Amino acid sequence: MAKQYVMVIQASKCIGCQACTVACKFQNEVPEGQYRTKSPAVGPTGTYPNVKLYFEKEACQMCKNAPCVAVCPTKASYHNEDGVVLVDSNKCVGCKYCMTACPYDARFINEETGAADKCSFCYEHRVSQGEKPACVSTCVGGALSFGDLNDPNSDVKKLLDKYKAEVRKPEFGTHPNVYYIYEGVK
Amino acid sequence: MKRRQFLKGVLYGTGGTMVALGGFGTFTKLAPQAVAAAKEEAKTVFSTCEMCTSRCTVAVKVKNDKVVKVEGNPHDGATAGTICARGNAGPSLLYDPQRIKKPMIRTGDRGSGKFKEVSWDEAYAHIADKVKTIQKDYGAETIAFASRVNPQDQFFRLIARAIGSPNTFSHEATCPMSRTTALEGTFGNPYIGADYGNAKYIITMGRNFFEGIHVPMVKGVMKAVANGAKLVVLDPRFSVTAAKGEWIPIKGATDLAFVMALANVMIKENLYDKEFLDQYTEGFDQWVEAVKDTTPEWAEKETGIPKDKIVEIARGFAAARPNALIEYGWRTPWTPNDYQLRRAIMIVNMMIGNWEVPGGYYQKKGAGVLAAFPDQSGYAKPTGGGFGPQPAAPKPAKGRIDGAGVKGTPGQLIPPVDGAVGQITESILTGKPYPVKGWFVHRFNPVISMPESDRLIEALKKLDLLVVCDVYMTDAAYFADVVLPECTYLERYEPIIDQSGLVPKLQLRQPAVPLVYADTKPGWQIYKELGEKIGIGDFFSFKDMEEFLTRQLQPAGLTLDQLKEKGFWSPAGMKPFFMRGNDPKAPAPPTNAPNGKIAIFSHEIEEAVKGEGIPKYKQYPQPEEGKFRFVQGKVAVHTNAGTHNVPVLNELMPQNSLWINTQSAAKLGVKDGDDIIISSGQYEHKGKAKVTEGIRPDTVFAYHGFGRISPELKRAYNKGINDNKLIKNEIGESGNVVTSTTFVTVRKA
Repeated sequence: MAKQYVMVIQASKCIGCQACTVACKFQNEVPEGQYRTKSPAVGPTGTYPNVKLYFEKEACQMCKNAPCVAVCPTKASYHNEDGVVLVDSNKCVGCKYCMTACPYDARFINEETGAADKCSFCYEHRVSQGEKPACVSTCVGGALSFGDLNDPNSDVKKLLDKYKAEVRKPEFGTHPNVYYIYEGVK
Repeated sequence: MKRRQFLKGVLYGTGGTMVALGGFGTFTKLAPQAVAAAKEEAKTVFSTCEMCTSRCTVAVKVKNDKVVKVEGNPHDGATAGTICARGNAGPSLLYDPQRIKKPMIRTGDRGSGKFKEVSWDEAYAHIADKVKTIQKDYGAETIAFASRVNPQDQFFRLIARAIGSPNTFSHEATCPMSRTTALEGTFGNPYIGADYGNAKYIITMGRNFFEGIHVPMVKGVMKAVANGAKLVVLDPRFSVTAAKGEWIPIKGATDLAFVMALANVMIKENLYDKEFLDQYTEGFDQWVEAVKDTTPEWAEKETGIPKDKIVEIARGFAAARPNALIEYGWRTPWTPNDYQLRRAIMIVNMMIGNWEVPGGYYQKKGAGVLAAFPDQSGYAKPTGGGFGPQPAAPKPAKGRIDGAGVKGTPGQLIPPVDGAVGQITESILTGKPYPVKGWFVHRFNPVISMPESDRLIEALKKLDLLVVCDVYMTDAAYFADVVLPECTYLERYEPIIDQSGLVPKLQLRQPAVPLVYADTKPGWQIYKELGEKIGIGDFFSFKDMEEFLTRQLQPAGLTLDQLKEKGFWSPAGMKPFFMRGNDPKAPAPPTNAPNGKIAIFSHEIEEAVKGEGIPKYKQYPQPEEGKFRFVQGKVAVHTNAGTHNVPVLNELMPQNSLWINTQSAAKLGVKDGDDIIISSGQYEHKGKAKVTEGIRPDTVFAYHGFGRISPELKRAYNKGINDNKLIKNEIGESGNVVTSTTFVTVRKA
């Protein structure tokens, strides 16, 4: 059966330590000043002393209905056999249509390759080898989970069954494979 | 399309491997994965991280003699195979072209930044010559030694011992030393751990688990919170830890009042474990007396925390007993008598009997501790020393400059292994009790890590000899006579690292790759070779680190190959051992505790300072209108004064700013992002304002380690606020520096 790889982010467990940010840079050789993922703080919001703060992991949302794939004139952006959105940098001409189309601002032009770049779920070097993505493997707070939603025993399936999860900007109809759980955020 | 550009090749190391090393100096230009990919599959070298001093286990991924990635060690349950941002950034340090690559001798005035590169032999000869002159003119005791605590201290400090200087110091007075004093005074030793993961109620006062990251402890606290534990966070600033719990913005420097009020409530409402106190402790009666008037009403006035809230916390904490804890702290030099806060914290912990039970405090279980327990003693045998026979060391001609460890005097409160490092500045400048003329500094950056940077620099300028060993031209190295380039932790062996907790744990730090810069050396080798040049080579009685490590491991029945296998060793099949885990009345003596009892009243502290055997409250001033208490703390992506120039980490956070409350900033006409001047009266510092609701209106805050002074730290130089420029060099009652009693004013620049 085909896989449906998803990432689940539990905001209550994210401490904003940026271990994921740095692990990704080394795993994927992302150039200086550029990032495939980052986890900026949201807050503090509220009024002293009633304030709150959490972190949001930003990266490609791995949409099932991906605008970037739809607009790519060279088919450089594509879904692979496991539903992961990838970029073939050899086919990319750097036209930036995908960057305009992406509602999540998840793409950039890699300064070294000149091609569009973004999170790949570490598909080639890790996930296809049976490992978790670099960010998930190094998550100190334990906020990140990754797996096959079609596998009833996967962590991600269990989490999504247990908690109410959200996707970003559902109104765009992109059907992301990245889910956010906010339960437990103070 | 523009293809990946490999920059100019630079040849380095002995292998003659071409590595792309770019002018921008970040790891990405090295493209180590691409360079190595075609030639060799990745191998994994298990070792110990040194991006901070917490010493997490790591798995270093190496291809073709290049480190391509550092990951957590998947064999280690303590980290669950994770590692923080700094740990992940290891290769960025390793391949940083801004590392120092050759020994250097100063050629211009101190602070002019003028150095010439020299051979190791010349550097050693220069140092040996100066050491002999100082020994002859002033005595060996006028040469001080200070390092950030690390496993190679036994080589660094051996130089001091062999020449006859008693003045060895660690950085600890700037960090957890008052906790050490408190633990030694209460338990007889400082090797006390906390089992966060099984706690049901955690109170933390300032300890910011989620920004001052120690990976296994983050895991523990997060596990507790995920299991529904209550997390109460007292901090004048809204930290990330506060965001994960209930934030109580306590008035600065009043923490002891809060703790004494908890005790008052718990005694009044009979919420403590009398049987435990009777069996395991002594002196509880004096504590009852000491807290009889520290009521919640009184503490409300001191701390600003409503009395009902104090009562609520006392009841909640006690209801979770014994699986609850008040965190004993990490960076603990807030006030002059900070050690009494740490003492009081541990006494209230003992009131709920959270000793040697899950979710409480415990004696760290090295092989020596297990020996007393027949059903545990088979699991591990102690390691041995790595040195062969050594000659007798000369007896120092004078006592230490800080009087550390002298019984019957206040100096008894100062752990001699750490020392009151702030005294070095004072002795250089005042000549009291006698002058310091020479200073060796190893992997420590006093200019940024010690208070009153300007005064410290003034002191450095008066020295006859300053030797600094580091990986960068640090702010201290910039003023040195001789700069010695150490290689990084990814290129060297170190002695066995004992990280025992609830089970014994021995860790290895070993080279993952050959030297990246051929003229750098590991610390052990530097001090061995320097020792030979000074004429004290006999003390360094080992051939190399393989021999040293083998000697250490042999008595434990272990081999170096065994340690290399997973990078650490813990006894197979041993479960976490709590002395009172099965039987709440089982013997559970802390190591070296006087009379085998936990000292609620401490005769040792009473002996040092009469009247201090039981903690008592001292009221410190609060800032008047228009002034702010200045507090500081850690951020997740940087380590103290260590990582701010590491390319990847610098990129994530190149500078800090001053947190100021929205209302307070409005009164000053200061807006978010404004340039400001922070003034302590004596010193001023430029900076930027971060206007936020997440801080008390009477407090300002900055992350530590920014505002670097050495222009050779090209990325971090002059970026942000150096907190220690504003803090006075005061020596606290247990030899600690004092970080949190400085008041400042703020104005628009």
